[in-house]
Amino acid sequence: MQALEKTQAGETVHARQLPGWSPKVLLRDAGIGLALLLLIVFFSVSTEHFLTANNISNILTQITINLILAVGMTFVILIGGIDLSVGSMLAFCAVVGGTVLTIPDLSVFQAVALATLAAVGTGVVCGFLNGWISAFWGLPSFIVTLGMLNIARGAALQVTDARTIYSFPPSFNAFGSQMIFGIPVVFLIALLLVAIAWFVLSKTVFGRLLYGIGNNEEAVRLAGHSLMFYKVAAFTIAGALVGIAAMVYMARLNIASPIIGIGFELNAIAAVIIGGTSLNGGRGTVIGTLLGACITGVLANGLILFGLSDFMRQMITGVVIILAVIIDKYRERLTGI
Amino acid sequence: MNTQTVQAEAAGVSMPPVLELHDVKKAFGGTKALNGVSLSIQPGEVHGLIGENGAGKSTLIKVLCGIVRPDEGAINLAGRAYAPTTPREAKANGLQVVHQEFNLLPHLSVAENIFIEHLPRNAFGVVRRQEMHAGARAALDAIGLSDIDVRWPVARLGIAHRQLVEVARALMTESRILILDEPTATLTSRETERLFKIVSDLRRRGVSIVFVSHHLDEVFRICDRVTVLRNGETVFSRPIVETNQDELVRAMVGRKLQQQMASEVVSFARPAQALSLARFRPPQSPHAEGISLHLHKGEILGIAGLVGSGRTELLRAIAAAQRPLSGELFLEGKPTSFRSPREAINAGIGFVTEDRKEEGLILNMPISANVTLASLSDVSRAGILDRKAEIEVTERLGAELKLKYGGPGKNAATLSGGNQQKVVLAKWLARNPKVLLLDEPTRGVDVGAKAEIYALIRQFAERGLALLVVSSELPELMTLSDRILVMSQHRVVGELSRPEFSEERILQFAYQGEQQQARQ
Repeated sequence: MQALEKTQAGETVHARQLPGWSPKVLLRDAGIGLALLLLIVFFSVSTEHFLTANNISNILTQITINLILAVGMTFVILIGGIDLSVGSMLAFCAVVGGTVLTIPDLSVFQAVALATLAAVGTGVVCGFLNGWISAFWGLPSFIVTLGMLNIARGAALQVTDARTIYSFPPSFNAFGSQMIFGIPVVFLIALLLVAIAWFVLSKTVFGRLLYGIGNNEEAVRLAGHSLMFYKVAAFTIAGALVGIAAMVYMARLNIASPIIGIGFELNAIAAVIIGGTSLNGGRGTVIGTLLGACITGVLANGLILFGLSDFMRQMITGVVIILAVIIDKYRERLTGI
Repeated sequence: MNTQTVQAEAAGVSMPPVLELHDVKKAFGGTKALNGVSLSIQPGEVHGLIGENGAGKSTLIKVLCGIVRPDEGAINLAGRAYAPTTPREAKANGLQVVHQEFNLLPHLSVAENIFIEHLPRNAFGVVRRQEMHAGARAALDAIGLSDIDVRWPVARLGIAHRQLVEVARALMTESRILILDEPTATLTSRETERLFKIVSDLRRRGVSIVFVSHHLDEVFRICDRVTVLRNGETVFSRPIVETNQDELVRAMVGRKLQQQMASEVVSFARPAQALSLARFRPPQSPHAEGISLHLHKGEILGIAGLVGSGRTELLRAIAAAQRPLSGELFLEGKPTSFRSPREAINAGIGFVTEDRKEEGLILNMPISANVTLASLSDVSRAGILDRKAEIEVTERLGAELKLKYGGPGKNAATLSGGNQQKVVLAKWLARNPKVLLLDEPTRGVDVGAKAEIYALIRQFAERGLALLVVSSELPELMTLSDRILVMSQHRVVGELSRPEFSEERILQFAYQGEQQQARQ
């Protein structure tokens, strides 16, 4: 820092580094990518079936829903919030979408289009309420979304009378297991969402202000920005993504049940945190979230192939979450990244 | 010991001092907070400690109660060397502080707060409630607070009563020395009387009291001796009967007081008004008449006043960071009102806050992001950021403000205090405002950068920007301002034009305002 002060403004040669893509951020993401790579190498060497085309596409299918939910969660955690309701909202969106999907006398296209609209719409309304209630009354989003967790679950059970909805159009179900070059289409959809989120967060005014709010809300407010708008928007986006995840869920499993998605919010939060996003807000990238979701997916799959019980797998996932945060803490302290 | 003290006083024998400081020094980085403080406090003495903002009173108190360790100097307490490392140790040595900021736990009861350090417990560790309540009752009665129920949560009490509860808590432990840091700032005159009675009771019991205050009349009422600090040094220490108010003000300021009377308030009538306020009442303003002022284009209007006189609140209300209670605001002659900082900013008001780190900057974000934070629409198209434009704006303003930085992509946290402040200034300049409000513009800024910031502020004024500057540093205000308003107790009590500027005059106004308030 002293060196900086000695430099005269005139002679400073500014590296034209782009905010949001500074070497620091790249380095952080690269570190998580390296961890993922090591995991992949480890499982490839130690197990017979890990590195097969079939298993890879299996993993990608398995992480798709968590990835979509985690992208939405990234928006919320970046502004310093948390959304505990996404698992219940997934069930609610699915049963609303599923109900529309099974309306007789609609063409497949009509049914899917309307169902998507209904599922995403349901997610948007729930997300909006999460954001608006917590911003308007200044309540911690932890509490508000804990309430929504119960409301959405109850609503899902109420509208279906606790029954499971099935017999969707066969071509809709086929879409859910469609592959392009061995990559599941639903995963490509998730990747597209990651790309859009990356663009929004790093290239737009909107994204810039979400980071700003997560870092210093008061400075953003005094610079003339409406905190209300951005907070509500972050939660609404998370809700919309839950709606999309619900459609993917139905396409893959061919059912919509009011009891699906229990605990999904915690998996999404885990992916975001392992991906290097700070729970305090203001720091993290959606690329990190992608890597975080891959790490949890690879771990889950690899440990089973490794011959560990599902219980052991769960314990190890827990250890990884804690380790990720500890490593992050040290990285912050040592390098200031 | 108590009886001894009384006898000694009666006999006129001077006792060995209970607390003695010799040439105590403490520096924070390059700033010398204490630069040679010597002090001697007798048993059973009420010792006034006064000085301007930043004279070192707070640091001195922190040294005495073990929060800050001095670099140099000797401290003796009751004849023994005294170097506390924790507040607990200070208390064990019989030194208690009633702090200016409140240390009460609002959701616990009054009794629990009073007993927080040694709750009476039975063998199972369960609090003996009745004993605690009885003890708290006695403690409150002793200081005349019989109207408060000890079971009430502290949150239910008014600010003045909280202060007295804090005094009651301090009195729970026998102490040799009680330090009261600005105790009357939040008290009404009735409660102040109560406090003074407590003080004189304590004195009779042989307790020494250090009374820190901005209110000179109070110092004269209850103190036996008064010590003045200036720039971290003891400049004056004398029995109260041997001095007077003028002498104290002079000692605080450091130059001879010119014997001139306050002239009438000069009102300027220049045509191009940038900002006017009429009966404008920021939140917490207790007076219906509010604040009225005119700020002209190209003018630097300074606002002086003691801590708590309502200066920051005024700026915050103009910038709509907080809603004013009532009153009118005119921008370039047109009546306006802002419902949010956004509206104020769009109308052309910029606000450089007092607390750079909490309210001004996003430290962990790039300098360019901080510079453009208030003008994002200028560096984006359809909501998509134009990074090149952003960097251009940052480099242009950086060069204009002589910002020393590693690059627009470096985090604001990497900058020194002065350069951080320049980033905040750049943020507002990027919007081309009509009025710029500056709250303590050089707080935490080193001397060299200070001069640069002064030069910049003057440049802004020459370009026609209207500036309202609040500062606790009087030399700073006198250097910068075309005119100075003095505030006291949330109202304007004096106005000085440039030829009339002097620290003495400003302080006179400030203290007169306090006294008027006290008389009412």
